Amino acid sequence: MKLMTYDDICQFLYTEASLLDTRRYEEWLELLDDSLSYRMPVRVTRDFDEPDDIVNDMTFFDETKRSLTTRVQRFRTTSAWSENPHSRTRHFVSNIVVEPGTSEDEAKVHSYFLIMRSIRDRADVEQMFGERIDIIRRVDNRLQLVERTIYPDQTVLSMLNLSIFI
Amino acid sequence: MANQAGLDTSMLEGVKDKIRRGLLPQWAFTDSEIFKAEVKNIFAKTWNFLGHESEIENPGDYVTRWIVHDPVLLLRDQNGQIQAYLNSCAHRGTKLCTADFGNKKTFTCPYHGWTFNLSGDLIGIIAGNKVYGEEMDRSQWSLRKIPKVESYQGMIFGSLDEHAEPLETFLGDMKWYFDIMLGRSDAGMEVRGVPQKWIINTNWKISADNFGGDPYHTAMSHRSTVELGISPKDPMYASYGHQIVLDNGHGINMVTALGGAKVPPYQGLPEDMWPMFARNLSAEQLKVFENTMIIVGNCFPNLSFVSPMHGTGGPDEPLTSFVNFRVWRPVSPTKIEVTSWFMVDKEAPEAFKEASYLSYIGSFGPSGTLEQDDAEIWTRVAEASQGEMAQDKDIHYNNVLNYLMGLDRVEPDESWPGPGVAYPTCYLDAISRAFYEHWVDQLLATTDIPANVL
Ligand code: FES
Ligand SMILES: [Fe+2]
Repeated sequence: MKLMTYDDICQFLYTEASLLDTRRYEEWLELLDDSLSYRMPVRVTRDFDEPDDIVNDMTFFDETKRSLTTRVQRFRTTSAWSENPHSRTRHFVSNIVVEPGTSEDEAKVHSYFLIMRSIRDRADVEQMFGERIDIIRRVDNRLQLVERTIYPDQTVLSMLNLSIFI
Repeated sequence: MANQAGLDTSMLEGVKDKIRRGLLPQWAFTDSEIFKAEVKNIFAKTWNFLGHESEIENPGDYVTRWIVHDPVLLLRDQNGQIQAYLNSCAHRGTKLCTADFGNKKTFTCPYHGWTFNLSGDLIGIIAGNKVYGEEMDRSQWSLRKIPKVESYQGMIFGSLDEHAEPLETFLGDMKWYFDIMLGRSDAGMEVRGVPQKWIINTNWKISADNFGGDPYHTAMSHRSTVELGISPKDPMYASYGHQIVLDNGHGINMVTALGGAKVPPYQGLPEDMWPMFARNLSAEQLKVFENTMIIVGNCFPNLSFVSPMHGTGGPDEPLTSFVNFRVWRPVSPTKIEVTSWFMVDKEAPEAFKEASYLSYIGSFGPSGTLEQDDAEIWTRVAEASQGEMAQDKDIHYNNVLNYLMGLDRVEPDESWPGPGVAYPTCYLDAISRAFYEHWVDQLLATTDIPANVL
C-alpha cells in the first residue's frame, strides 16, 4: 500500500473500465496477474438472523487468467452471437475504499459497480450492480489485478447472459 | 367450440394436424391466450420440478421455489418427510417465507403473526383465544399443501392436480435415462451450493425445444467454439448417436462419436467409480452410458438437462463432464426465469467435483461460453414472433415454422437397447414434433375428474 497512492488505484480501475467498455480486451488481460482469481459468487436472500447472503460454493464466474483469455479469444471469432453485434456497456465504478493488503506492495480495494448495457436496437436497458473486492499489487512499477470477487446485488440476474466482464 | 381455457378447439386441432406434418404456427410461441391456456391446462396439471433432496437434507431445511406463479415452500419436516406448501399465509395470503433457503422449526407471518410448524399446522395466533375464541378450528387453517409431491432419484416434483398420475408413470421411460444420469452412484447426486437464477426474454417452449430436440443448432449457434478449436470441425459432430422420443412429450439425445468411434468411457468419470455404475445400472444402461459423450434433453414441459463434456481452456485442456438440470419458469409469454442446478455424484473424488463444476461454469449458465449465445438467439426468436405476420391465425402469410427434419425419412433403430423410439441420428425434429404434439394434446384436454369426487 505504501508503494501506491489512492490516485494510482483510482486511475487503475478507471482505465480498466474504459478498456472493457471499448472492448480492448487484450489490453485488459495485460492488467491481470498470471495468478489471478476472478470469481462472482451467487447472492441469495436469507433470513434476517442469517446475515451472510453470499453463497461462495456457486458462482457466475470462477476464472483464471487462462480461462478469461479463452473467453476473450471467443469474442474475437466471427460467431460469438451474444456479442455479434456487440453490446454496448458503461462500467461505472465508484465508492472506492482502500485498505492495506497483506504486504507493502498490495492493497485491498472495495468498489461499487454499475454496468449499463444496451443490446442492438432494444430500448430496454440491461443492468447489473454490486460491489467488487479486489487485491491489487504493484509489480515492476505497474499495478496488476491479483484477485477479484464480484458480489452482485440481484439474486435473480436480470441480464440474459454475462457476455461481458465486470 | 372452446375448451375450458377458452381456446378454440378446432383451431387447436388444426395446429395438431400441422405439427404432425412438421409445421408449427409461429404464433404458438408468444400468443397470450395460448400462454394462459398453458398455465391452466399444462402447468397446473403436470408434475413440476421443485428441487433436489440434497438441498433439504435435514429436518427444518427449506427452499422456496415456484410453480409458474404459485410460490412454493419446500421443506423436510420433523419426521424427515418432504413437504411442499403454498408459500402463502392461510390468514390473508401474505407470502410467508421470503428467504431462498434456510433451516427453521416454525414460520411466522409478518402480517398478523400467525405461526406454522413444519407440518404446516397453525400453532400460534397472536391473542388467539381472545379474538377467535375456542370455537375456531385451527386445524382448518393449516398451510395449504401442494396437492401432490413425489421424488424420483432424488428429484422432487410437485403437482397442483390432486388427480395427477403417479410421478413414475408421468416420467415413464425417462426413468431409464434418469437412472443413468442420477442413479448410477450408490449415494446419488448432490446439488452444489444453490441454483443460479436469471431472466431471459423468450418463451419457455423455445428453450425447452432447444434442449429437448435441437442438437442441430450446435454447429451454427456454437460455431465460435469450433473456431476456437474447442469443438470439432465436423458440422455433423452433434448428430452422431441417437435421438430418443419418449412418451408424455419427453425426449433425450444420447450423443456419441462418428461411426461408433471410441469415446472416453462413462463421460470421463473417474475409473474408481466404474464398478459402482455396474452395480447400479442394468447391462443395457451401462453399455449406453459407456458410449455416450453428451446427454441432452427435456422432461415435459419445462425441465431441461444437459450433461456434456467440456473444457475451460484451449483445445489441449482435458474435457470434464457435468450434470445440469434447469427449469424454464414461464413468467409471461415472452419472459422466463431460469433456475439452473449443478449436480455431481456425491461419491466422486473432490478433484473431479471441482473440475466438473468449473466445466459447468465455463460452458453453461449465463456466463457460459455456450449458453451466452443460446440466450441471445432465443430472445431473437421471441422478438421476431410477435408481429401481425407471425401472429396471424389464418395463414395468410405462410407463418408456419419448419420442423420437417427427418419426417418420413429417418426410421427408428430397432437395435437400440433402451426404451423409447430411438432414431439413429440426433439431427432430427422427431422429439420437437412429439413435444408439440403432446403440448397441443394437453391444451385440448378437458379435465376428466373421476365421477366419485363430484
Ligand atoms: S396474513 Fe399472515 S397472519 Fe395475517
Ligand atoms: Fe445451445
